[in-house]
Amino acid sequence: MTDSANITLDNVSRFYGEVLGVNRVTLSIPPGITSLVGPNGSGKITLMNLMTGLVRPTYGEIRIRGIAPSEPQKLFHLVGYSTQFDSFPKGLTGFQFIQSFLRFFGYSSATSLELAGRAIAQVGLTEAADRKIAAYSKGMRQRIKLAQAIAHDPQVLVLDEPLNGLDPLIRAETIALFRRWADEGRHVVVSSHVLHEVDLISDRVILLTGGYVVAEGQIHGVRTEIQEHPMEVLIRCDQPGALASRVFEQEHVVSAQILPDGSGLLVQTRDADRFYRQLNHLALDNIQIESVAPADDNVNSVYQYLIGGEEVSK
Amino acid sequence: MQPVIELDDLNVRFGEREILKSLRIALSGRIIGLLGPNGAGKSTLIHTLLGFCPASSGTAKILGHDIRAEADKVRTLVGYMPENDALIADMTAVSFVRMMGELSGLTEEAALERAHEVLFYVGLGEARYRQLGTYSLGMRQLAKLAQAIVHGPRLLILDEPTNGLDPAARTRMIKLIHDMKDSGEMHLLLCSHLLRDVEETCEDVLILKQGRIVHYANLESERRTNKRFVEIQTHGDDAGFAEALTAIGCECSAAGNGRFKAVLPEEFELREIYRVAAGRDLQLRRLNYRRDTLEDIFMKAMEV
Amino acid sequence: MAVHKHTYKDYTGPRTPAWSRFLVLARFGFARVYHLKFLFLFSIGCLFYPLVCAAYIYLSHNPSFLALFSIPADRLPHVDGRFFYFYSIVQGALAYLLTAFVGPVLVTPDFANGAMPLYFSRPFSRAEYVAGRISVLLILLSLITWIPGLVLFAIQSSIEGWDWMTGNLWLASAIVSGLFVWIVVLSLIGLALSAWVRWKIGAGALVLGVIFAGAGFGAAINSLMRTNYGALIDLTQVAHTIWSYLFRYDTGTEMSLTSAWIVLVVTCVICLWLLAKRIRPFEVIK
Repeated sequence: MTDSANITLDNVSRFYGEVLGVNRVTLSIPPGITSLVGPNGSGKITLMNLMTGLVRPTYGEIRIRGIAPSEPQKLFHLVGYSTQFDSFPKGLTGFQFIQSFLRFFGYSSATSLELAGRAIAQVGLTEAADRKIAAYSKGMRQRIKLAQAIAHDPQVLVLDEPLNGLDPLIRAETIALFRRWADEGRHVVVSSHVLHEVDLISDRVILLTGGYVVAEGQIHGVRTEIQEHPMEVLIRCDQPGALASRVFEQEHVVSAQILPDGSGLLVQTRDADRFYRQLNHLALDNIQIESVAPADDNVNSVYQYLIGGEEVSK
Repeated sequence: MQPVIELDDLNVRFGEREILKSLRIALSGRIIGLLGPNGAGKSTLIHTLLGFCPASSGTAKILGHDIRAEADKVRTLVGYMPENDALIADMTAVSFVRMMGELSGLTEEAALERAHEVLFYVGLGEARYRQLGTYSLGMRQLAKLAQAIVHGPRLLILDEPTNGLDPAARTRMIKLIHDMKDSGEMHLLLCSHLLRDVEETCEDVLILKQGRIVHYANLESERRTNKRFVEIQTHGDDAGFAEALTAIGCECSAAGNGRFKAVLPEEFELREIYRVAAGRDLQLRRLNYRRDTLEDIFMKAMEV
Repeated sequence: MAVHKHTYKDYTGPRTPAWSRFLVLARFGFARVYHLKFLFLFSIGCLFYPLVCAAYIYLSHNPSFLALFSIPADRLPHVDGRFFYFYSIVQGALAYLLTAFVGPVLVTPDFANGAMPLYFSRPFSRAEYVAGRISVLLILLSLITWIPGLVLFAIQSSIEGWDWMTGNLWLASAIVSGLFVWIVVLSLIGLALSAWVRWKIGAGALVLGVIFAGAGFGAAINSLMRTNYGALIDLTQVAHTIWSYLFRYDTGTEMSLTSAWIVLVVTCVICLWLLAKRIRPFEVIK
């Protein structure tokens, strides 16, 4: 895969004086939906600012689809950024906001009107477009920010918590929008705290903490690489004890814990593939299996293992 | 059992616009979820219950007390954790929670004791002696929660408590909500856009749309009726899997990436699915009854 | 060994009476104000002039002191209406400065970060909020205006004797009423303006500005339009008019007493209206 179709970071570090933004980050992000996950202060915003060219690396090199941040003319046409900040120029309506920024891109008055209308329609704000942004609800402000990021039809979208404050319907619609853009070959880089959503929608995940990338890739790939933690599988069945003894016959099983309410078994195994294959046969014996689910093959567990539940306050 | 919140033909309007239309319901239960799209009137309902805006007609009662006639009594019984930033930046958490406690009627000594108790309970350690203006978002949410429970309310209203929190802080908040629910000392009303959070914590849900009630359900009983839907996650070569399941009587569709959804016929045994998988040497990494009950309920309610 | 699990516990203790809740706000307000050393020192400094006056009263009746400096007793200004008129002007101005500092400190933090819903989700009303905050200002300003004034009156009375006091009781009531009215107006202005501006410094500047602007515009109007009505928006002139009447010291102002009172009442009403508009449990944006 040619790197010039990706966003590449090569040993990139960014410091703000003494304060660390990110340190020694090397990534190659292909098109599709990539999620940035990490606690606050982990470097997500620095990374997003680096990817959109708003901030230059202190060391290292960045290329966004082959374009360097030193070519802002090309870069800003390519990239669309929806930030976390909730402030807008005073006194503008939604439509005026989008349209005026489009003019900065060099579009003519007529084209900018058309593009603004299209962007606003994509986020479903056509009815509210002529009201002042100051009167918008939180969800509407979030969507107008999104519209502004996509109005100039960028190939790379960087979105900071774009679903924050959106109700479930609009969330689903916006996620479908991301999926469409990703399928069209764009980069959609999304930062999010809602881990089960990240699980559902992302093609790839980048986990950050303290300015370092601690994991990146597809969830399942990332999970199997974390060797210190055997895979956990949760099985609900009617005879957990019997299942446990059968399961222990396999040497790759490290532990089997009967759940406190006796409704099932939590198995830890070093070889998930073999375990699942054998489970098919175990299920055909006398044990009624009600459900099977990987207990930790998701972003949430990977997050717990690599980043941990930090003290909210000391 | 006395209902927690009773609405009787409640109408609220702002000037010309009708925001809440003829709401009539009796809510009870330990923890009630309040859902609805933006503009459905959730915030207005909460504000009306708190007495921030008057009802144009109809009545509402909280724990048997009318919100208009006994407004002050209602406000002693209720704790409110608003969605937006709500703090006094130059006060320490202790002073802030203390003052709020005293304003709710606690004596000076009791307020100081209680402030420390709730701050310990929510998990603010040494940070409680720092000014609120220096707090991160997660800590601010906890401080907001602390001031809402310092006076021992009977009904705690939480408006988007997990909004914007990073995963660790969110887990902490959900754990606190569970704990408060289990303590049996209070009822909770949880208003949130994050269906997953509501599903993890709430027992009943009330769904509003355009100022009307479109659904009120108990999640446990809804889950029990959903036992015919399963989701399957496979690993390996899954070609023909859907067809094979259909052949044994399920309606099966592929959702991409190895995910499948199936509707089981009556009297179906799950091991038949395993038989199919064993025959194809296909790993079934996940096989469980549909978890997205609330999302289903919500989407269906929106179509009404 | 006992293991104590810390779960949520209810509060079942006694509750304080409802009427006393605004005092909570007052107490915390005082704490807020006196955390700032500058304010503390400034308010102490405001007592400097009363101290000077007290010294003057005492020394002007002390024959040995007078003899020491060969000052003839009857040439010294008497402690009468005129004396207290000038006292009011000085302390009134200082009170005005103190309001500009204290008002924002008291009120602006409540609005800056959306704490209003938290106040009003409790058994607490808007009137109690205003009462709680204004009481801090009223007490502070009283401590530097009419209370020292009464002390001065008491010192004078104790030296001059019972007859003097009974003959000059009108002076005592003038001190109290004249200065109390002034500090009520100042407090309302201080609170109202601080509620509308987000930053403490901005609010303070606004409070200062209101009266200076009033003075400036008033003078401008007077000279441009050749009337005396401009003086009506100059609150200092208004106060002086009222004081000169109360202290029976004719300064020759042309403002009528009625107009002066009307201006004060209108100012108070405007401030209360501003407060009512701003103090809401939540903001509604159309």
